[in-house]
Amino acid sequence: MKDKLKSFSPFQVDAGKIMDMYGLSDEDFTAAADSEKESMVEMHKSISFWQDAWRRFKENTVSMVALVVFIVIVLFAFLGPVLIPYDYSSQYRSAQNLAPMQYSENEQLTMLATSGADAYYSTAVQSGSLTAIRKGSHYINWKGATYAFSNDKGIENAILMLDTDAENPLYYVKLDDIAEDGTYSEITVVEYTSEAAEGADELELSTKIFPHVFGTDSAGRDLMARTMFGARVSIIIGTMAALIVLVIGSIYGSISGLAGGRVDFIMMRIVELIYSIPEVLIVLLLQVVLKDPLQEWFDSGTSAFSQAMSDLGTGIVSIMITFALLYWVTMARIIRGQVLQLKKQEYITAATALGASNGRIIRKHLLPNCVGPLVITTCLQIPSAIFLESFLSFLGLGVSAPMASLGSLCSDALASITLYPYRLLFPAVVLTLIVLTLNLVGDGLRDALDPRLKK
Amino acid sequence: MGIYILKRVGAAILTMLLIITITFFLMNAIPGSPFLTEKSTPQMIELANQKYGLDKPLIIQLKNYIVSYLKGDLGTSLKMQEGTSVNDILFHQGKFQLSIKLGVAALVLAIAVGIPLGCIAAYRRGTWIDGLLRVVTTVGVAIPTFVLATTLLILLAVKLGWLSTISGSLEDAKSYVMPVISLSFYYMCYIAKLMRTSMLDAINQDYIRTARAKGVKTKWIVLKHALRNSLIPVITYLGPVTAGIITGSFVVESTFAIPGLGKYFVQSVLNRDYPIIMATTAVLSAMVIGMNLVVDIAYKIVDPRISLSAKED
Repeated sequence: MKDKLKSFSPFQVDAGKIMDMYGLSDEDFTAAADSEKESMVEMHKSISFWQDAWRRFKENTVSMVALVVFIVIVLFAFLGPVLIPYDYSSQYRSAQNLAPMQYSENEQLTMLATSGADAYYSTAVQSGSLTAIRKGSHYINWKGATYAFSNDKGIENAILMLDTDAENPLYYVKLDDIAEDGTYSEITVVEYTSEAAEGADELELSTKIFPHVFGTDSAGRDLMARTMFGARVSIIIGTMAALIVLVIGSIYGSISGLAGGRVDFIMMRIVELIYSIPEVLIVLLLQVVLKDPLQEWFDSGTSAFSQAMSDLGTGIVSIMITFALLYWVTMARIIRGQVLQLKKQEYITAATALGASNGRIIRKHLLPNCVGPLVITTCLQIPSAIFLESFLSFLGLGVSAPMASLGSLCSDALASITLYPYRLLFPAVVLTLIVLTLNLVGDGLRDALDPRLKK
Repeated sequence: MGIYILKRVGAAILTMLLIITITFFLMNAIPGSPFLTEKSTPQMIELANQKYGLDKPLIIQLKNYIVSYLKGDLGTSLKMQEGTSVNDILFHQGKFQLSIKLGVAALVLAIAVGIPLGCIAAYRRGTWIDGLLRVVTTVGVAIPTFVLATTLLILLAVKLGWLSTISGSLEDAKSYVMPVISLSFYYMCYIAKLMRTSMLDAINQDYIRTARAKGVKTKWIVLKHALRNSLIPVITYLGPVTAGIITGSFVVESTFAIPGLGKYFVQSVLNRDYPIIMATTAVLSAMVIGMNLVVDIAYKIVDPRISLSAKED
C-alpha cells in the first residue's frame, strides 16, 4: 500500500512517511471484522417492564424480606399439613388442652414402651388409629417382609409392635398394661401370615411421634394443623376476593373512563353511592341472608362449580359475594383515573382510527398500560379481605366448625383466654404476619412498578 | 358554595334511602319468620305478623319505616325486648350514648396522638425516632382490632390486674383505657403514616424555605406553615375513620362486655329483630354519612386551592 500511494500523485502527501511517523502498518487499515465492530457499539440488553420492576423491587430490602416471609407462610399453610401427622379436624384422644410442644399421655406411654421395638403402630399416633381398623385383613410391610393379620382380636387402645429380634415379631400391648416407666406386664402375640389377603388394607408403620407444636384445643385438635389450615383458608379468601375485585373493578373502571360523558357521570355516581355505604353493616346482614340459600344451592347443585363452592362452605362464599358487590369501587376509581389519562394518548387515537372496537381498545391498549396500578391495588386488596374475613369469623359469622380460619381460631381462643393464652398467640401472629408482609410487598410493588408514586 | 353543599346533602339523603332500602330487602330475605320458635303455631305467627304489620306488602312496610323515621319514631322491638320502643332501647337505655362516648374518645385519641407522631417522624426523618415510629405504625396497621383488644385484656387485666376485664358502661375513667386504645390504635398508626408523608411534602415546598430564610423558628415553621397544608389528607381520611371505628366497636364492645350499639346490632341481626336491625343500621349509617358530609365540605373550606365549582377528577 505504501508504494501504491507514493506513485499516486506528486502533490500527494507521502502517506508512507506519516504511517512510519505514527508507527502504523498496513494491517491497521484492513476492514474491521464484525466481532470488532460489536465491541464498539454500546450495547444495552433490552429490559422488559417486569425485569425492570423486579430489579427495582430487589433493591428494596424491606419488601424482599417481607416477600420471603410471606412465601414461608404460604409454604407453612400449603405444604405444612403434609409434613405433620395431624389434620385440622381430627380430635385426638387424651390430647385435650395440651400446651405447646407437648405429647399427649398416650404418646408419652408409647414413646417409653416402644423404645426397644423396631416399629410400632399405635392408637396414640394419628395415622390410622387401630380403633379405626375395620374387621378383616390387614398387612404391614416391614424390612422386605409382609406381616398379614386380621383384626378379629379387637386390638383397641393398644400399641401394635413389630420387633424383628423378638421371638414373636408381631404383638400388641394394651395401653393399660404399660407401667409409667415404659415396661409392660403382658403382651399378646398376633398371629400372622406372609400372604396378604386380597383387598387387604396396608397399615403404615409409624416410628416417630410428633409433638403438638402449638398445643391442642379443648376438643383435642392439633392447633398447629388448625393454624396451617386457617392460614390456607385466609390466604385463599384474600386471593379470590382480590381477583374478584380486580375483574369487576377494572372492567367497570375502564368502561366508565373510556365512555366518558353521561355514561361516565352515571357510573361514577353509582360508585360514589356504594362507596359511601358503611359496608360492614351490609356485610353482616349479607352473611346471615346468604347462608341458607347458599346451603340449598350446594345441596342441590351437581355441577363442578357448585361442588367446588360447597367445599369452601357458605361462610367463605358469602364473603366473596360481598366483595363482588361492595368492594370493587376503589379499584374502579383508580382504573378510571388511569384510563382518563391514557385515552388522550396518540396510540389510542391511532387504534380508534384503525377501526378497533372499544372492547379491543380496553383489552389490548388500556388495561395492559394500567398494569402497575392493577397489580398494586390487587396486592393491597388481599390483606383487607383477610382482615374482613377474620373480623366476620371473630363475630361468629365467617367459617363454621370444624373448618377454621385465622379469625375463627382467634375467636375460639377467647373462650379460654386466661388459661391458654397461646391459643390466641399463634393464629394472631400468623394473621398479623400475613397482613404485614402483604402490605410491605404491596408498598414495594408500588415503588417498583410506578416510580412516579414513590414518596 | 351553597349549591355544592346542597348537592352533597342531597347525595347523602339519597345514600341514606338506598341503605335503608337495601337493609330492608336483605333483612326480609333472611329465610323464616322472626316469630318462629319451637312452640309457635302457624296461627300464632300469623297473629304476630298482623300485630306488627308484617303481613302487608313489602313496599308498604318499607314506606311505613321511612315515614315513621321521618317523624323520629324508630318502631317497636319484635323480639329482643318485645314491645319496647326502639327509641327507648337505643337512646334511653344508653346504648347510643355509650357507643358515641367510646367512638369520640377513640377518634380524639387517634387524631391527638397520630398527628403529632407523624409530624415528629417527618421532622426527624432518617433518625432513630423516625425508624422506630415507622416500625410501630407499619405493624400497627397490620394488627386486627380483636387481636390487640384481647392482648391488652390479657396483659393489663388478667396478668397484671391493673384494670377490670369488664368495662361495662364506662362509668370511670379506667374502664375507657383498653377499649379506646384498641379501637383507635389502627387509625392512630394510619394517621401518623399519612401525616408523615404529607408533612414531608409540605416541608419541601418553597414557602417553607422562604420562611426559614426569613429566620422563622423551626417550631413555628412546623406548627404554622407546614401543619396547615399537610392536614388536608388527614381530614379527608376522617370519613373512613368514623366508619372504621363503628365497625371496630362491634369487636371491642363484645371483647370488653360493653352494652353498646355495635354489639346490639350484631345480636339483632342474629335474632332477626327487624325494627332493631333497621333502626341500628339507620343510626350507624347516618353517623358515617354525616361524617363524610362534614369532611367533604370541611376540606373544601380548609383548602382554598380546591375549587368548589370545578368538576372533580
